[in-house]
Amino acid sequence: MSKRTLASQEGGCEGLPVQLTNARYGVVIRPPHYRWSGERFESDHLVSVDRASLASLQGQVDVVVVGDFVGVVAESLAVARDAAKQLQTEWQTVLSEPNETTKQTLKNSEKMGSEHRSLRYQESQAEVSAQRVYGWPSRMRWGNHPGWVVADGGDHQLKVWGQTTTPVALQQDLASLTGLGASQIELYSLDQQQISNQATALGRHCGDDAAVDAALMSQALGCPVAVWLDARYTQDVEALGQAQRMSLKAELTDSGEIARYHYRQANSSGEVAAVGLWLSGRATEPAAMPEPIPKTTPEVPTGDSDPAQFSSSVLSPYVFRDQHLSARLQQPGQTPSSATLIGIQQAFARESFLDEVARDSGQDPVSLRLRHLKDARSIELIESVAKRAGWQVPFKKPADSAPLDLLQGRGFAFAQLPDRHQRMEAGVRSAWIADVAVNRVTGDVQLTRLIVGQDDGPEVDTAGLQQTLQERILGEARPLLGQVPGFDEWGDGSDAPERGVAITPSALVNRESPAVTQTKTSSLRPAPSDLLTGAELSPGVAVIANALFDATGIRFRQPPFTAKRVREALKASATEGAAQPRLAKRASGRRWLAAAALTTVAGTAVMAWPWKSTLAPVARPSANLYSAETIERGRLVAAAGDCAACHTAEGGSANVGGRAFETPFGTLYSTNITPDEATGIGQWSYAAFERAMRHGISRDGSHLYPAFPYTAFAKASDADLQALYAYLMAQPAVAAETPTNELSFPFSVRGLMAGWNALYHDPTPFQPDPMQSELYNRGAYLAEGLGHCSACHSPRNVMGAEKSGDAYLAGAFVDGWEAPPLNTLSRAPIPWSETSLYDYLRHGESTLHGVASGPMAPVVEGLAELPEYDVRAIAHYVAAQMQAPTGNSDVAVVEAERRVTNAAVSSPGMEAGERLFEGACAACHMETGVPTFSRASTNLALNTNLHSDHPDNVIQSILGGVHADHVPGIGTMPGFADSFSNTQVADLASYLRARFAPDKAPWQQLEPRINDLRQPHHNNTHSTP
Amino acid sequence: MTLKLTVNGQVREVAVPWNTPLLNVLRNDLALNGPKYGCGLGECGACSVLIDGMAARACVLPVSAAVGHAITTLDGLSQNGQLDPVQQAFIDAQAAQCGYCLNGMIMTIRALLNHNAQPSTQQIRAALEHNLCRCGTHVEILQAAQRAVVINAAALQEAPHE
Repeated sequence: MSKRTLASQEGGCEGLPVQLTNARYGVVIRPPHYRWSGERFESDHLVSVDRASLASLQGQVDVVVVGDFVGVVAESLAVARDAAKQLQTEWQTVLSEPNETTKQTLKNSEKMGSEHRSLRYQESQAEVSAQRVYGWPSRMRWGNHPGWVVADGGDHQLKVWGQTTTPVALQQDLASLTGLGASQIELYSLDQQQISNQATALGRHCGDDAAVDAALMSQALGCPVAVWLDARYTQDVEALGQAQRMSLKAELTDSGEIARYHYRQANSSGEVAAVGLWLSGRATEPAAMPEPIPKTTPEVPTGDSDPAQFSSSVLSPYVFRDQHLSARLQQPGQTPSSATLIGIQQAFARESFLDEVARDSGQDPVSLRLRHLKDARSIELIESVAKRAGWQVPFKKPADSAPLDLLQGRGFAFAQLPDRHQRMEAGVRSAWIADVAVNRVTGDVQLTRLIVGQDDGPEVDTAGLQQTLQERILGEARPLLGQVPGFDEWGDGSDAPERGVAITPSALVNRESPAVTQTKTSSLRPAPSDLLTGAELSPGVAVIANALFDATGIRFRQPPFTAKRVREALKASATEGAAQPRLAKRASGRRWLAAAALTTVAGTAVMAWPWKSTLAPVARPSANLYSAETIERGRLVAAAGDCAACHTAEGGSANVGGRAFETPFGTLYSTNITPDEATGIGQWSYAAFERAMRHGISRDGSHLYPAFPYTAFAKASDADLQALYAYLMAQPAVAAETPTNELSFPFSVRGLMAGWNALYHDPTPFQPDPMQSELYNRGAYLAEGLGHCSACHSPRNVMGAEKSGDAYLAGAFVDGWEAPPLNTLSRAPIPWSETSLYDYLRHGESTLHGVASGPMAPVVEGLAELPEYDVRAIAHYVAAQMQAPTGNSDVAVVEAERRVTNAAVSSPGMEAGERLFEGACAACHMETGVPTFSRASTNLALNTNLHSDHPDNVIQSILGGVHADHVPGIGTMPGFADSFSNTQVADLASYLRARFAPDKAPWQQLEPRINDLRQPHHNNTHSTP
Repeated sequence: MTLKLTVNGQVREVAVPWNTPLLNVLRNDLALNGPKYGCGLGECGACSVLIDGMAARACVLPVSAAVGHAITTLDGLSQNGQLDPVQQAFIDAQAAQCGYCLNGMIMTIRALLNHNAQPSTQQIRAALEHNLCRCGTHVEILQAAQRAVVINAAALQEAPHE
């Protein structure tokens, strides 16, 4: 965690309600093993707590023990965390494996999803049947956003400040915990508005668990206690596993009609009480569950149901010839379940199932439903919604603009909920059609269009629904209004901390106003949940699952559908026909670095004694030491750092090293960073790895040369470096000796780097700028740290160290390519905007500037691994360095058109260049009136390189061509090194400059420069043989 | 690596490096010899194919760029045993001498007509400006192109495409 984050928490009052500045800080210690089995809560039992183990801590530290619940409370969060680490507790193991069952359940359900084809109908005489199981998690996620949860409990009253999506359930938990009545418990969100009871439930998140934790500690100590809710609560999400399990079965006649329909629901309540409540022993343990009582209903249930059994009723709008619906009955004393949640869970399972049956039996999902509906209003509603959405099967995907890496799909779902008196006829019918776009690389799912038809009730706020679903079920909306900027948070909202919507921004957290989010609904609505009722939301989860299936062919049978789950499922299913070329690792910028001048080093050698200790070799950590989540995070870190680009030799296997780097001081070779024990980093401990990354010192104590950009990697956070270590250690070990460097004396003396480091290396980790937005800080972290942008884009001084200040990102030359300025010195004919930068970094091309090529191509290729948000963050940060606007203004577009028009006619007096251009270039670079697939889409009049003060990149492109090998959408250009002489290249370059950059001075001294750049080691691009 | 290509309406699987030029795959792996190898640098147009109905120079296109798109070569231009109007026009006008460039000429005119059914003579010249013929059949090729416009229009009237 960053220092800023700690500081803000240690400071105590920031973000806390004003009158609670006297709050103390609590951290809970969960048992080593605990879980919800689906029927009961099981955990290890506390044997003893050794309070003496906290003696060394400053200030008053209290330990709260209630049953198996253990918490420590201190004067600051940092001390409480230390206490939680130091406190010695002894547990009696009840469960052998932590959460084994729940993990297994999840895995199975995902496996079923990816192997749906093998679960085809079993032919049994005349009938075919299908059986599926759907699940609902006990906790959708750990929370909406990191934040404080505070409880202030007395004998007669309990006040809780925090975040919840299920205030009723939370209130019930708190009542069971404290014995207080509902009226004595008040819930507030952090701006001290009382939390509305209208909020909808798509299920609980760990805000409730944190609230119960805080309340337990507060009650025990008689003072307000604040708990920090963040991704650490993911362990509760995992431990609590599945709350609901629904099995469905159908038998079909030859004509595809559903003759028999079974629905069985494992629990009457789809909710699981807070962890603290279970651990403290104050939860009402349900008595042994009786077998579910089957309820055979030949017809739709009507108004005569007993209200007491409300939650155990299974309602279905459809009519099947023979249907069996059953659910466990509610137990007395059990937390009464939310009818809304049960309704949503039922609709999810039923509507997903019907969709599966329809698709597997070759029927239109809408027609299949219509076949089994008798209710005229429902039929009318569905037909009108289908018509409005232009429903057809298969969904005709808009082919025109969709980028290659987007999968699109459309789904349908329907629900009918009874009214207050359990009458179906009088209830609300709701039919939904949703379109989704799935990024097949990142797994990000965007709900792109939503059509909702409802036959009753208030007008449907489709935008609000869309936003709610995007946030809660897809978990990707990340507005900038964060409570605490998590600049090193990766990803996609499942295992990493999320940036959910701050429902109620604290008055004390004064950040920038929200900017555009990735969803179409860009504005931050006030508590969207308050606008929704259960009836409105009930088909919402199924409709996304169905659309996701349409897009990807993968069936997700349990929400949420986070990017991480989608990405993993896509990966698993993609192994068959690989239409997508695998992103092989390849060339990169060979960055050389001038080493030190001897005299200066001698002067500092005393201070910075070069001989560092050798760190003991360790056995290679076993591959299962790190969680899949950590390794996945490490994969993203490696992608952002583009490790493989330098550590892979041309044609060699990834990360084996051996790529040569030509420098003025000799040749350097990148090393083997696979976990081979003899030749790679297999024997490196994490400490050794971290020292190399932060200080440029190898495990054996020798200095690394700063061609390895440890000067940038030093900025990476601890968590990221650990994840990177985990990832590298989990890769296959390959034995390969690294060639010996060929450096001339004195540069061959590694120890001299100590002096260089003392002068130029700042190993402090990245510090976010509290005055900047979360997006900016994330971008800065990636760009300055792992992304090491400045390694190429900042000029270096005579000592080979990057210049800073005004020269930061001011452009430089690397290996024969110009890395253009990324600050206000940019020479682009049309000024860059944040949008253009994003297009360039994400897709490798900005139509107003050109394509990524040369050493930048593999950078874009690496960025393809990163989530949308991260690429946006880098674009945002670079745009800030350029003082660039957010979007492309009309003025810029008009100026672009003017330049293109002016360049349509050849400039006179340069016939030699013109002939070459017409012969070699014009077929692809000029408009001929024939629609051409292989035409370059950026007009040369807008190309940044042609407007630069230096001709290097133009010469490189003519000689070597453009080969952004693995970035879909970038065209390729052949190299002309073998067909043009230096004079011809010079003629052509002069001609291009005069015609397409007429406002710039002609380039001078072209031929000698071309001759230099012809040297093979300078040509970073691949010519196709 | 196995790639799936849609060529002349059929899905074909080829095991080639992803950066093999499309032309090599078409000619060597799929035995479609309509497109010709000329300059290898995208300059002459002899290698032209249609991708999603647009002209493309197959010698400079890595095969991976064509995955997911519909590729049509000269070999697949005829429909139901009937030559494409453009092919027929080139036969009618006897526009072949050495014939090496004709694949490119025909495919480029096909792409032009897909986009503009009634091009002017000027537009035809512009369209063929970067298709090189070196045996001197330019006049016949232009006549063939103009005839193609007529036959194509007639064929369109008979059976409207869209």
